[in-house]
Amino acid sequence: MIGYILRRFGAAALVLFAISVLVFLIFFATPGVDPAARIAGKNADPATLEQVRASFGFDRPLPVQYLMMMKHLFVTHDLTSFVNRGTLVIPQIVEAIPVTLSLVVGAAVIWMVLGVAMGTLAGAMRGTLIDPLVMLLGVFGVSLPVYWLGEVVNLLTQKQLHDSVFSWVPPLGYAPLSQGVGQWALHLLLPWLTLALLYAGIYARLLRGELAGALNEDYVRTARAKGLSERRVLLRHALRCSLIPIVSLFGLDFGALVGGAALLTEVVFGLPGVGKLTYQALQNLDLPVIMGTVLYAAFFVVLANAVVDVVYARLDPRVRRA
Amino acid sequence: MKRITAIAAAALLAAGAAACSGGGASTGTGPATGAAAQPGQAAAGFQEQHKGGTLRLLAKAGDGTLDPHINYSNGNWQIFQALYDGLVSFRKTGGERSYDIVPDLAQELPQVSADGTTYTFTLRKGVAFSTGAPVTADDVVASFERIFRVSGPTSGTFYAGIVGAADCVKKPAGCTLDQGVVADAAAGTVTIKLVAPDPEFLQKLALPHAAVLPKDTPAKDQGTSPIPGTGPYQVVSYDPNKQMKLVRNPHFKEWSRDAQPQGYPDEIDYAYGLTPEAAVTAVQNGQADWIFDPLPADRLTEIGTQYAQQAHVNALAAFWYIPVNVNLAPFDKPEAREALQWAFDKNAMVKMFGGANVAQPACTILPPAFPGHADFCDFPRQDLAKAKDLVQKSGTAGQEVSVVVADDEVSKQIGEYVRSSLEQIGYQAKLKVISTNIHFTYIQNTRNKVQLSVSQWYADYPAASNFLNVLLSCASFREGSDASINISGYCDKDMDARMAAAMKLGQTDQAGADRQWGEIDRELMKRGPIVPLFNPKQIDFVSRNVGNYQFHAQFHALLDQLWVK
Repeated sequence: MIGYILRRFGAAALVLFAISVLVFLIFFATPGVDPAARIAGKNADPATLEQVRASFGFDRPLPVQYLMMMKHLFVTHDLTSFVNRGTLVIPQIVEAIPVTLSLVVGAAVIWMVLGVAMGTLAGAMRGTLIDPLVMLLGVFGVSLPVYWLGEVVNLLTQKQLHDSVFSWVPPLGYAPLSQGVGQWALHLLLPWLTLALLYAGIYARLLRGELAGALNEDYVRTARAKGLSERRVLLRHALRCSLIPIVSLFGLDFGALVGGAALLTEVVFGLPGVGKLTYQALQNLDLPVIMGTVLYAAFFVVLANAVVDVVYARLDPRVRRA
Repeated sequence: MKRITAIAAAALLAAGAAACSGGGASTGTGPATGAAAQPGQAAAGFQEQHKGGTLRLLAKAGDGTLDPHINYSNGNWQIFQALYDGLVSFRKTGGERSYDIVPDLAQELPQVSADGTTYTFTLRKGVAFSTGAPVTADDVVASFERIFRVSGPTSGTFYAGIVGAADCVKKPAGCTLDQGVVADAAAGTVTIKLVAPDPEFLQKLALPHAAVLPKDTPAKDQGTSPIPGTGPYQVVSYDPNKQMKLVRNPHFKEWSRDAQPQGYPDEIDYAYGLTPEAAVTAVQNGQADWIFDPLPADRLTEIGTQYAQQAHVNALAAFWYIPVNVNLAPFDKPEAREALQWAFDKNAMVKMFGGANVAQPACTILPPAFPGHADFCDFPRQDLAKAKDLVQKSGTAGQEVSVVVADDEVSKQIGEYVRSSLEQIGYQAKLKVISTNIHFTYIQNTRNKVQLSVSQWYADYPAASNFLNVLLSCASFREGSDASINISGYCDKDMDARMAAAMKLGQTDQAGADRQWGEIDRELMKRGPIVPLFNPKQIDFVSRNVGNYQFHAQFHALLDQLWVK
C-alpha cells in the first residue's frame, strides 16, 4: 500500500513538472509575446529594450529562465508579475484562495443537498409524474451555461428588478468574513446558487440512475423481506450504496473547482478568486501569474485524482495490483 | 499612446447614441466637451460647497505599476494627474485649452536660450511632497536621472536629447546627467541642456514620465508601493487585482489652479474586477460613479436614451488605421497602395464602430483639430472601379493578401469588411484573427510577415510628430523586433528630412511648422503607407450625482475635479 501511494504521488509530481514546462514553452513559442517588448513599452528605443531584456534575464537561455522562475516560485517565494510589477505572485494566489474556497464550499453544500434530495426523490418516485418532472429540472440545470445564467441573474437582481424585489441584493463583489458572516453569505448567495445548479443537476441524474439499479438488487429485496419500512430500505440500504460513485465524483469536481474551474462564476460575479486571477493573467499574458495559477490548479486536480485513486485502492485491492 | 481595447458597437447604436449628449463633438472643431457639461467651469475657482465625499471608479483590472516614470497606460496616466507634477503641465481644464502648457513646479515657463538648447526653470517655493519634505532642485535632478536609471519606456526617445542621456540609455546603472540637468540650489533654478533644439520638449516634460519625485526614490520600478508626489491626492493602498485608494495629500496647497487645482472628493476609490457590463449596471444603480473601460456595445442604446444626461461624448486625438507593409508584395508597389486608399467605404466602418456619434471617417493621418492637421481629402470616397484599375496597373492582381486583426468584435467586423473589399478590387484576400493580447506586438514584428492589419494610435502629446514621425520614420522601424511601431516598415530618407525640417521650424514658427506638417501628411497619404479609417470618440458614463465633468484632451476626464456632493 505504501509503495502504491509513493508511486502515485511520484507520478503526480511528474505531471506537475510536465505541465509547468509546457506552459513555459507555449508562452515563449507564441509570436508577439516578447515580454521585454511589453515591459519596455511601445516605441521603446532598442537600447532601452536591451536594458530591460538584460535586467529581467530574458536574454538568457530558456532552460535557465525556466529554472530561475521555478526558483523564485518554490525556493525564494518572490516571483513577481510581469505586468503589475511589484506584485508578488504567491501572496496574490494566497489571498485569492479564501474567496474561491468560500464560493466552492458553499456551492458544494447546496448542490450536494439539492442533488441528493432530487436524485433520491426521483429514484423513489419512479413510475409517478414526480420522477420525470424532477429529472427535467435536472436537465434544465445541466444545460444552462454558468456564465449565461450568471449574467441573467445579474440582469434581474442588479438591474431589471433591482429597485423592487431584489433591493436587498448587495453590489457585485466579495465581502470577506471580517465584515461579518451575514455580509459574506449575502454577497455569495447568488454565486453559490448559480454554480450549484449545474452540479445539482448532474448529481441528481447520476444518483437516480444508481438508485434505480440498487433498488433492484438482491439485498434490497432481502431488506424488504425482513419487513423493513420502505423509507428505511431506501435511505439506509439503497441510498447508502448508491452514494459511493457520487462521493468519488464529488472529490474530483471539488478539486477542480478549488483549483480555479469556477473561473466563469468568479468573473461574472466579480469575485477576486483564483479563477479570476487566472483569467486576468491570461488576458494580459502575465507569464509568472499564469504559471503560478496553472500549477496551483494542476496541483489540486492531481491531488484530488491521487486521493481518489488511493481511496479506491483502499476499497478495492484489484486496483493496487494493476 | 496606444489603446488596444475597442468600443464594440453595432448599427443599432446609431439611434441610441444620438441622444448621448447630443453628439455635439462631431464637427471636428476641437476636442469639445460633451453637451451635457455641467454648469460651473474650473475657471470659476474652487467651489467649497462641492468639496467632500467619496468618488468611486471602476475598471476591469488594475493598470500596472504605480511608478510614474515607468507606467505607460491610459488608466494610470489619468490617475497620475491628481498625484504628480512636472516642471510644467498641460492646463487642467476641459476643452481645447487643455493642450496649453502651463508652469507647474516651475514658477513660470522657462527661459530658453537663443539656440533653443538651454532651458532654465525657476522652482516654485513652498511646494511639498506628501511626506512634507519640500521640493528642491536636487529632487528635480534626481528625477531626471531616474528616468534613465529605471530604463523608462520613453527614456531612449522622448528624453534622449538631454546632454548625457545617450550614455545613460546604454548604461542606466548609476547614470548621471551632470552636464544635462544642472541644479543651482541657492538660486532655486534647474537648467536643462539639450544636444539639439526640441520644440516638443515642454510637452514631453508635461507627461507623467517626467514627474518630479523625491530624490531618495529607489532607482527601480516601485510597482505597487506608492511614491510620494506633489498632487492633491496620495495613494494609500494599491492592489492591481482589487483596489486603489486615494486620499487627500495633507501637504497640498493649491499653487496654480491652471496647473494643479485642488480636488473635490475627499477620497477616491478605484475598484478593479467588475466586467464592463456589470460596471455599467453599477453606475446606473448609483453603486459607482465612473467606468474606465470602453462601454459594451449592447448598452449604448440604453445609455443614450434613458441615461443621456449622464453620458459625455468627446473627440479623441486618435485614429483607427490600416498599416500597409510597404516591404512585402503586393503593397511594395505604389499603385497597389493607392488602390487601398480608394478601396474602402469609411462610413461603413464608422457604422461598425458604433455610428456617427462615436466616430467620424478620417481623410488624413493627423486627426481633426490636432496640431498640423490640414483639411484636405484627396481620397474622399470609395471608388472600387478606380481601385481595381490601379491593382491591374500595378500587376499585382490575383495575389494573396492576408489581413491580421484582433479578436474583439469591432476589429473582426472591420477585418471582414476589408477582406471582402480586397477581393472586390482583385486580390485573393484572407482574414487572420488573433488574440487581442498579442495583436499589437505581433503586427509590429517583421518576422511575422504581416501585409495588412487594423490598428489604433492614440497621441502621447499634441504634436504632429507624435503621429507622423513616430509611425512613419526610419528611426521607429526596427526589423525583427516586437517593438517596431512603424508597422508599415516605411522608411524614406526624403520624408525623414522633411519631418526633421518641420520639427526644426517648430522652434521658431509653430504656424509655419504646422503648415509643413499638413503638407507632409498629404504627401504621405499619396504614398500610402497608412490608410486612415476613422477617428474614435470617448464616451464617459457617470452616475447621477456626479457634477463638473471636464474632458481634458490629453488625459481625458479630470477625475479629481468631479463633484460627488
